[in-house]
Amino acid sequence: MTANMYRVGDYVYFETSSTSPYQIRRIEELNKTPSGNVEAKVMCFYRRRDLPPQLIQLADKHQCALDETNGSPTSESVLSNEQLGPKQRHQMKHRELFLSRQVETLPATHIRGKCSVTLLNETEALCSYLNKDDMFFYCLVYDPTQKTLLADKGEIRVGSRYQCDVPPLLKDGESDNRDLTETETLVWTPNHNLNDRQIDQVLVVSRSVGTFARALDCSSSVKQPSLHMSAAAASRDITLFHAMDTLHRHDYDLASAMCSLVPSSGPVLCRDEMEEWSASEANLFEEALDKYGKDFNDIRHDFLPWKTLKNIIEYYYMWKTTDRYVQQKRVKAVEAESKLKQVYIPNYNKTNPAALNNNKGVLNGNSNGTGTDPAVSLGGKACESCNTSTCTQWYAWGPSHMQCRLCQQCWSYWKKYGGLKIPTRFGDGMDFEGGIKKRSGSDVEDDKGMGHRPHRCNIGGCGKEFKLKAHLGRHYATAHGIAVRAGSPRPVMKTRTAFYLLTTALTRLSRRLCRHIMRPRHAARAPSFAINIQAVKQECAAQMVNKSQQELKQLMLYRKRNRGSVTAIASKLGHTGPPTPQWLILTDKTFLPQPEVVAFPKPPKGPDGSLLYERVPNKPEAEKIPLNNTSPSLKRRTYEDMNGIDSSSLHAPTAKRLAKDPSSSALTSLPAPTAIPISRHHASTVPPIMAGAAPLGSVPMSVPPSAVDQYQAMMAVAAASQTQLPPGLMGGPVAPRQVAQVNGKPKIAQMTRSGSGRKQFVNWMDAPDDLYFKATENSKKIRRQISSVELRRAARKPWRFLKTKLDDLTQVVVLD
Amino acid sequence: MATQPHSRKRVCYYYDSDIGNYYYGQGHPMKPHRIRMTHNLLLNYGLYRKMEIYRPHKATAEEMTKFHSDDYIRFLRSIRPDNMAEYNKQMQRFNVGEDCPVFDGLYEFCQLSAGGSVAAAVKLNKQASEICINWGGGLHHAKKSEASGFCYVNDIVLGILELLKYHQRVLYIDIDVHHGDGVEEAFYTTDRVMTVSFHKYGEYFPGTGDLRDIGAGKGKYYAVNIPLRDGMDDEAYESIFVPIISKVMETFQPSAVVLQCGADSLTGDRLGCFNLTVKGHGKCVEFVKKYNLPFMMVGGGGYTIRNVSRAWTYETSVALGVEIANELPYNDYFEYFGPDFKLHISPSNMANQNTPEYLEKIKTRLFENLRMLPHAPGVQVQTIPDDAINEESDNEDKVDKDERLPQKDLDKRIAPENEFSDSEDEGEGGRRDNRSYKGRKRPRMEKTTENKEPEEKPKEEVKLEKSEESSKTNSDDTTTDTG
Repeated sequence: MTANMYRVGDYVYFETSSTSPYQIRRIEELNKTPSGNVEAKVMCFYRRRDLPPQLIQLADKHQCALDETNGSPTSESVLSNEQLGPKQRHQMKHRELFLSRQVETLPATHIRGKCSVTLLNETEALCSYLNKDDMFFYCLVYDPTQKTLLADKGEIRVGSRYQCDVPPLLKDGESDNRDLTETETLVWTPNHNLNDRQIDQVLVVSRSVGTFARALDCSSSVKQPSLHMSAAAASRDITLFHAMDTLHRHDYDLASAMCSLVPSSGPVLCRDEMEEWSASEANLFEEALDKYGKDFNDIRHDFLPWKTLKNIIEYYYMWKTTDRYVQQKRVKAVEAESKLKQVYIPNYNKTNPAALNNNKGVLNGNSNGTGTDPAVSLGGKACESCNTSTCTQWYAWGPSHMQCRLCQQCWSYWKKYGGLKIPTRFGDGMDFEGGIKKRSGSDVEDDKGMGHRPHRCNIGGCGKEFKLKAHLGRHYATAHGIAVRAGSPRPVMKTRTAFYLLTTALTRLSRRLCRHIMRPRHAARAPSFAINIQAVKQECAAQMVNKSQQELKQLMLYRKRNRGSVTAIASKLGHTGPPTPQWLILTDKTFLPQPEVVAFPKPPKGPDGSLLYERVPNKPEAEKIPLNNTSPSLKRRTYEDMNGIDSSSLHAPTAKRLAKDPSSSALTSLPAPTAIPISRHHASTVPPIMAGAAPLGSVPMSVPPSAVDQYQAMMAVAAASQTQLPPGLMGGPVAPRQVAQVNGKPKIAQMTRSGSGRKQFVNWMDAPDDLYFKATENSKKIRRQISSVELRRAARKPWRFLKTKLDDLTQVVVLD
Repeated sequence: MATQPHSRKRVCYYYDSDIGNYYYGQGHPMKPHRIRMTHNLLLNYGLYRKMEIYRPHKATAEEMTKFHSDDYIRFLRSIRPDNMAEYNKQMQRFNVGEDCPVFDGLYEFCQLSAGGSVAAAVKLNKQASEICINWGGGLHHAKKSEASGFCYVNDIVLGILELLKYHQRVLYIDIDVHHGDGVEEAFYTTDRVMTVSFHKYGEYFPGTGDLRDIGAGKGKYYAVNIPLRDGMDDEAYESIFVPIISKVMETFQPSAVVLQCGADSLTGDRLGCFNLTVKGHGKCVEFVKKYNLPFMMVGGGGYTIRNVSRAWTYETSVALGVEIANELPYNDYFEYFGPDFKLHISPSNMANQNTPEYLEKIKTRLFENLRMLPHAPGVQVQTIPDDAINEESDNEDKVDKDERLPQKDLDKRIAPENEFSDSEDEGEGGRRDNRSYKGRKRPRMEKTTENKEPEEKPKEEVKLEKSEESSKTNSDDTTTDTG
């Protein structure tokens, strides 16, 4: 319980991206947002991997310099440093953090556990950090905006401007001629002949005198109508201090002190500010406090000029003890409720998207059918860090083309410490997008906002997040082959390191022999699946034994296959006007079947304009309730028009089948020429991008947003024209699809039904990022040059090449 | 140096009734009012009548320039909220403005605070008292010509300078949660004052106080810094305070001690991050008092004012050797101490980041440093009793000495030799203190340090250059660095 209770001041792991290591932060504030979520204001700590390489070198130098300058006293720590093996040195680097003064706000739900960060003290052995989990140290402060490192260390300055002149010690008998009467005035001494009781008696007498004085005083009797109140007022500290002073002034002579309490002018009346102030003054003060806060100078100036500042301050501190202040405080306390002291975050146990599905591995392994060692059969590679090959849960790690993976243990190490336990070919476990460091000055601004919202790759199914826009740009360039320009004229594309695949005779042989394992066509289609090399090797070796040299040679011969000439293919490919595929030809409206049933009728609207969703009962009779008919006045006309609701057909049990309709997945993954309903004249550049995106995105099941868009567009057209899509398109028996209407824009059905019969909504947070085309001056100019007929045609057939005079404008701008 | 059991001491207490009415400004955590709250508690606890109460005279500019530079004091004397605009440049130079605002009566406030500590030191010099208390003092951040951390005039340095006239060696101990950098800097190069500061170190105001800062020149090894981490509790604090102070007393052998009792090391302080209770804090006073050296106690930090006045009241009672009830007496500010209205506070459940090993390592290192001290001759300590009687007579004329006290009263003044009971109900109240205020103030302090001129900036600059035209070398660096 306490482990999951996070307080202000705690050091915690934050997960802002599932694939990169946790971020280490210190909670500075916990605030409740109006929506009920908890936001944490956090101080950032950076890992070595987050720093530009030059600064890391600098940090290393600083560390060395520290060790040297410290000479003998630090020999201990130097020694312990030297005792570290290379592996420990490597791991040590994961424990070093860099404090920054940067504060950001993150949702508290992203907290993934506690850790501890301490300033490295040179008396400590570094091993002490390695031996404990979740321990980090820092010694330098990193400024991400300035790209500087500072030692968080003040300095005691030396020089006559800073030190004082120490006076010489006086010789025996010598005096500095200081006179105590010049430095102090005695107000009270315990060296008197009164006992405690006598002093108490004087105090009681002075209170009594005070009560009596209040009874005589007209102004007081108004304020304190009862004797009790007078007595209470007379018991305030000011009366007591006065009594003590009087006693002292009268040399602790009881008689004369008491006499002085009742001089001829009347009994002594001591009143403090609390009592001195009239009710109207008090009201004025409260009013002023409301208006100016505790700016007493202004309060005095504008509200209570007849009081001195000291009066006001004294009154203020006494006023704080009153009921009225307490009431005010309560109001404030309610306001301050949004500030939390602690928050409970349960353990996070959703599976990480990087977790590899074991089944896939097994499937691969089984396919070789040779029943080898189970560890091997789990598919290809061993853990990138510890080299183990058995583990219950694997995690994909590194760039997708590398096919690396980590075992459970090494994965959690990577998440926590941002590196691999054991140094590998990736050096310090530099993460790949991290390896591409920031480049241009303009990125520094982006830097500030990072963490709030990472830059996400919005190519279908990729979804990788990057801290810097430039990193995203690189990612686009390297992973998806798209040139993305973010306004800067500098090219972001960097050529990938060329590699050369050497196919030895044995390799070629194995390709022929182990076709059933490698399944080359499948591999070509799904390059992201691992090929079980071990199995291939074994199979190859086994097969080779049975074959003669001659046979093997025969196998390795390259048989050319006649596919026609390249030019012929090229011209065919380049042909601009391919016949419109049959499925694209719209069926005549009149032939289209009308929907018999609306699968998911739109729920009615609440008075505040929100949709009133209700749990759908499983019972068929419950379905009779025509939700959308309950409040016809609130119903949107367009909705009705578009769906052609026939209340009599509501009984038909079609809804359930819909979700399982194969057409939905078939449709969404259509490798169709994309129709992004955006800037037309740029459409020429779009198809290659999306074509590149779909196969490269490592999650083939996900829907490329372009396809979704296209589908939406098609549905919209169909719906708007009260028609249905051709049966061929829907795949099999016609199942009417529902088009939900959101803000008048046609959108793909937002609700899906899960087994529980509960409606589920696609969270808008999960929606792919927006893709914009930036219309530059040039593009606008071109648009103007296109005839309206051309434009309309382009809108209808966006995949077609649009001839413009300026064909060089081939850039897509992704903004966010 | 042997410690003795508690004996009743002559305690002098310095207070000016005006001090509570100085106001640093809206939202400023430093509240001189806490000194008045302490004073009222002392009265109602009956401690007031057991000690000599003095109203300090305002320190003169001449007195203050014994340490501070003339132009700095001149500046403090002339600056007012209404003429601030004319002093823009000087305000920057003297670091007056943000943390150390200009408020009404600023100079008087400094005069009273410094006057109290100077008077206390003179009193000790005259051997007219054994313990002097000035809760209005303890402003340990003030530099020779610079305000810092809510401190303008360093009353401690002025007091120690006064003590140095009669004392060969003066020990300064600082239990404020912040490093006592002003005092340390003032005496950084002298071997006559040893400054020992226990403080939170690391990403904390004022940024100084590293274990490796040990003094310079003649003063090498005469600055002792104990850098601590968040969450120090009573037990851990005692485990480091007692051995270090014992060792310091043994090797340095001071003839007078100044203890800065900054109460921001208490649990729940608005700016602090330790977890001490009033008892744990008071134990330090108790321990130092046992050395029976001329002893000056000053205030300092402390920003949760109800706890500050609790601690200082308790520590006054410790100085007096009087036990006081846990139940707070009624006083003008009684409501401040709700909801439990008890003297003692409970620690929070925050984690103590100072492991015993860490404290042990620090201790070992400091002991190594203290070993480097030349052995102090042990003469100085003995000189005190000799002229004590003469000196005392000078200042005791206010008391009627011809008259003998009645035996009954004399008997009363004999110290009951009972020590402090630790069993007193400890657990009431629960945690009322809000740690979340901490973050709000801290950046402000940091900001000021950062705002300073580059040459004044006490930061060890390692690297300034922007990593700009490095896209080419970047990849190379990555490989070389990480390989």
